[in-house]
Amino acid sequence: MNSPSKTPAVLIDQCSKWYGQVIGLNNVSLAIDGGVTGILGPNGAGKSTLFKLLMGRLKPSSGSVRLFGIDPWDSTAPYRRVGYVAETERMYDWMTGHDFVTTLARLHGMTRDEASSRAEHVLDFVGLADVQHKELGKYSKGMRQRVKIAHALVHDPDLIILDEPLHGCDPIARTSIMSVIRDLGAQGKTVLISSHILEEIERITEQIVILHNGRLLALGNLHAIRDLLDKHPHRILIRCDDPRALAESFIENDAVYGVVFRSDEHLEIMTNDLSAAHSILPRVIVNSGVKVHTIENPDDNLDALLGYLVGGDS
Amino acid sequence: MDRQGRDLAQTVWTRLDRKAGAITELTIRQLRHRMSTWVVLGVGTLLILMLLAFYVDSVRDGFKPIDNDGDSVDNDEDGYPFGQERRYGTSDWNPREYPGSGYYVQDGEISWNDDARVHSGNHTWRGATGIFTPVWLDSSYEGDRWSGIIDYDSIEVCPDEGDFATDWWIEWGTACSEENGDLVVHSLEFRGEGRLEVTEDWGAEWGHITDVYDVEPQPASDFIDEDDIDWDGNILRESQGYDDDGDCRRVGWLSDDFWFEKDTNRNNIDCDVRWILGSDGETIVFIQADEYVDEDPDDVRLAGEGIHRGFIIGTAKIAFIMILSIFLPLFLALGLVRDETENGTLHYLLSKPIHRGEFITYRLLGYVIVAGGFVMALAMIMALVTSLMGPGDSLIRLRDIAMWMGIGFATVLALTAYGAIFNTLGLVSSKYGVYIALIVGVYEFIMAVLTLFGASLVPVLSVSHWTLQLVDSLVLIIWPDTLMMELQANAFGLSTGIDLFWNPPIHTLGTDNPFISAIISVVVLIFITVFMIWFGQRQFSRSEIM
Amino acid sequence: MNEQPREGSSSGEGGISESPFAEVEAADSSEMDLGSGQTRMEVAFGAGDGDEDASAVVAQRASLGILFEQIYRPWDGELGPRWVRNYAIFRHHVYGLFTSKGHRYYHPFVRLTIVVIMLASLTPIAMIFLSSTIAGSGAGSDWLTRMWGVNRYNLWGQVLGYFPRNLCMWPVLTALVVGGMISDDRKNGTSAIYFSRPVTRIDYTAMKYLSAAVVLGFVIIFSYVLYYTTSIVFRGEGWAFLIDTLPIFLGGLIAGILLVITYTSIGMALSSLSQSRFFAAVAFLAIIFGTKLVALLVDVQFDTSILYIFSPYDSLAHVGQWLVGIPLNYSHPLAFSIVSILVFNAVSIGILVNRVSSLEVTRE
Repeated sequence: MNSPSKTPAVLIDQCSKWYGQVIGLNNVSLAIDGGVTGILGPNGAGKSTLFKLLMGRLKPSSGSVRLFGIDPWDSTAPYRRVGYVAETERMYDWMTGHDFVTTLARLHGMTRDEASSRAEHVLDFVGLADVQHKELGKYSKGMRQRVKIAHALVHDPDLIILDEPLHGCDPIARTSIMSVIRDLGAQGKTVLISSHILEEIERITEQIVILHNGRLLALGNLHAIRDLLDKHPHRILIRCDDPRALAESFIENDAVYGVVFRSDEHLEIMTNDLSAAHSILPRVIVNSGVKVHTIENPDDNLDALLGYLVGGDS
Repeated sequence: MDRQGRDLAQTVWTRLDRKAGAITELTIRQLRHRMSTWVVLGVGTLLILMLLAFYVDSVRDGFKPIDNDGDSVDNDEDGYPFGQERRYGTSDWNPREYPGSGYYVQDGEISWNDDARVHSGNHTWRGATGIFTPVWLDSSYEGDRWSGIIDYDSIEVCPDEGDFATDWWIEWGTACSEENGDLVVHSLEFRGEGRLEVTEDWGAEWGHITDVYDVEPQPASDFIDEDDIDWDGNILRESQGYDDDGDCRRVGWLSDDFWFEKDTNRNNIDCDVRWILGSDGETIVFIQADEYVDEDPDDVRLAGEGIHRGFIIGTAKIAFIMILSIFLPLFLALGLVRDETENGTLHYLLSKPIHRGEFITYRLLGYVIVAGGFVMALAMIMALVTSLMGPGDSLIRLRDIAMWMGIGFATVLALTAYGAIFNTLGLVSSKYGVYIALIVGVYEFIMAVLTLFGASLVPVLSVSHWTLQLVDSLVLIIWPDTLMMELQANAFGLSTGIDLFWNPPIHTLGTDNPFISAIISVVVLIFITVFMIWFGQRQFSRSEIM
Repeated sequence: MNEQPREGSSSGEGGISESPFAEVEAADSSEMDLGSGQTRMEVAFGAGDGDEDASAVVAQRASLGILFEQIYRPWDGELGPRWVRNYAIFRHHVYGLFTSKGHRYYHPFVRLTIVVIMLASLTPIAMIFLSSTIAGSGAGSDWLTRMWGVNRYNLWGQVLGYFPRNLCMWPVLTALVVGGMISDDRKNGTSAIYFSRPVTRIDYTAMKYLSAAVVLGFVIIFSYVLYYTTSIVFRGEGWAFLIDTLPIFLGGLIAGILLVITYTSIGMALSSLSQSRFFAAVAFLAIIFGTKLVALLVDVQFDTSILYIFSPYDSLAHVGQWLVGIPLNYSHPLAFSIVSILVFNAVSIGILVNRVSSLEVTRE
């Protein structure tokens, strides 16, 4: 740790992990330092495996993992600067939120008083100041997630790893957790957050890593990836009273290269340039005078993105 | 943090201390919030309280004097105890034989082929067959059990026609009366004056009872605690003991048993006790008493103390070590880390800068504080009650308290060793660990039973053996005369429970020194604990946690 | 019980098939073949009509936000008789010992232990066989026969002997087999599998109890009967021997059945108290070992054997001595032991029934 500023917080070098015959992570190389990074991938993509490798729970089958330049499998030293929110649901239900955070803070070597005041501070930060002396068993799911985040923040870490923090939360909890994570990013921490929902990540960060079947598919700015995505064939599904009339007004446009009638009510528009198509969409609909019920972008989700990145059709 | 100028000691040790405190506290609180903990501790407390109730009850009754040699009983219920009858040479199995009941002396007889067939006189007649013409008959005469007494209440009338033995017979051992008042008897015993005509080919004998006099029956209490252990404390004298009640010396006894031996211990001194010293010249290694010497000691003085110690040792071994120290860890320690792994809550703890080995150690520490504190509290209760209520003149028996603290210490060592073993089993294999732990528990229990019954070799591979060994050693350290009491109990037939629950420590490297066996036991137990923690943390550090 | 769910709309578009009859721990339950023939569930719960075309269907109309559409298909089959359903529960637990495919999963370690205990309990048979093979050579054979041949003491000891049978074999067997019977259902919520079907709680409890008792009996009673019969076969005993020993044998058999019932009752009660099969197992061992030892301590130290009535083993041994006709070596009246056994069973079954009737059909 002689020059931590020059060592990236997370460094994964050609790392693979097998569970027997099953591959968990396949030759992934990654370096992350600073800012919020979203780890995206469907279930089983290797997100949790990646985090468990980072937290020294698992030993890489090949390659190396470094947290602040130290192998987490051999040493617990880097955990002083890391906060980890596991995906596990179970907690000590008989403890109060304040007890929980205090106890875990003491494992960082804080005194009881230090730990207690830090716990109050972080619980306030995640917005649980008013319920901190209630038992965890009585917390809602969103509150539990926030307590888990609080315990990871209690020692003011430089790197925060959140495994599916939004999983199972209602929209209100989601929003407040997201704002907490954005705040952390703003404070200059390195934050890793995993999710399988693109929209969630999109609202927090622009820097994403996409994993699929244990492989690293894409890494970089979301806009850059999305731009790539926009150039590949896209579909817009419109439910309206008169698909044929609407199709006529669309087909004249350059952005649209084809239409398909799915049923009496559904019209599917094919485009190569999604943003252009969306920019003309309102005007065309208004001009055509057809009553439109819904507009869907079936391709604007992670599956479609992955499908494109993997190279198959979606 | 190091750069902030704190010295190394503070950063490493105080932080370690704080982590230890946090995990220990977490473990204690976790155990406190589990129902099963309270059930188990409650049942353990009930067990100890029940034993205490029995103890208090027996103390309140006092230690009753016991007839250790069994000579106070009156087997034939003639009013004379066995000890008194033996002294007079009468049988205690025959109610007609008692001190002063007299002896039959034969005066004459007519055998089956004698020519003279008639005899007259005042006699006790025996085995008589024939016709008796009575002058006087003792109708209250009682004979021996097998000798056939005339039952005067049910004598039948003889047949009218013919003569006895030629025309008719009566049954063996019965009598009948003729019309003229004569009595026909067949192999009977009776007393009376008259003329007996003995039947051809049959016989009769007659005599008198001599030495009939009154002997006052002694109360049974005379034969309880009548022969105390005589020992002047001078261990250099090999021959000790005195036959207080004289049932070995037999001086002035009316009847002497030809087969009786006065020197059963073969030291050429009649009626004494051999006390054989060990090679160190200090400890008694063997006591051998001649038969009927010091065989009925003062129970209140001797057995009281022995029973008290027997209770403490028995409770220590059975309740504390064989039940509490095996089952508490099975209930409380197995899941220390395993449950956290299964629940996934381990992730919270392991994402902190704490080594997994430390984690295991502190978890065990928390468990030992709960289980060990419980055991020490129980030992404290036992110590208070037994030291206040135990026999002896002093108000409080300080050595009892020391003994109970020693027992508590031994139990805590066992709890820790078992905790480490079961915890490690849970870590090594989450699938088979619980089952193996169960089998290990039963195995330890069986080994403890074997140790209790004196096996020395087979149970060496068990924790319970060494813990019991430690208690055996502590007994000898705190009460050095226990060995003597056990030998006395064996030699003089006292039932104190010491000989059942206590054996002299075995693993003394041939020195018979209890300190050596105690130290060896403690070292072995600590070694097992440390090895198990080391092995557990080694497995745990290498294991991947999903 | 025999109501048939006939009402309800018949949309008839196929549906979600019933899950095979297996608890959660049976990982291979999905191997049940729905396509060919009847499933075990159908055999147990229905005559089969309407189930032939059963297949799992996930609705095709799924779109974002909707996982799948559930369409409930009414069931028009005949409900099988109660005993068939109960037998299915019973069989599920007993067959699991031999194959866990589709039946209750017994841990391999448990199965191994059962085999070891079974073999250990059969050692006298090997000895009798040995004595019959060296018959005629005199002292050796005589000695073997005296040691292991059929007599009152050996018949008693085959079931009720303390070392090693009741010190380790029977309690461990009971702890391992009975420990998880109900606690596993409590922990995993798999009781829902039973209670969402036409199975009453009495059926559920009785069948679990019966299957546990049968598994214990399979080792304890079976080895006892085998011991007696093989000694007749190997030694070529005649009718006189049979007439002499049959009453003793029957007495021992009753004692063995009592032992199995009592141990099962206590084990099942403990299993119903806890969510952890391990807690039940350890608690059972603690009760059997602890009561015996404490009673022994009190007997030796305070000269009263009354505390043995708290020890299930000693009460059984006492009654067993009377049944087989060997001298009683307890100083308290026999009636106390008989009452004690009755109380043990009554209290245990009371706890069991009470706990099962309050068992919630969720994962607790």
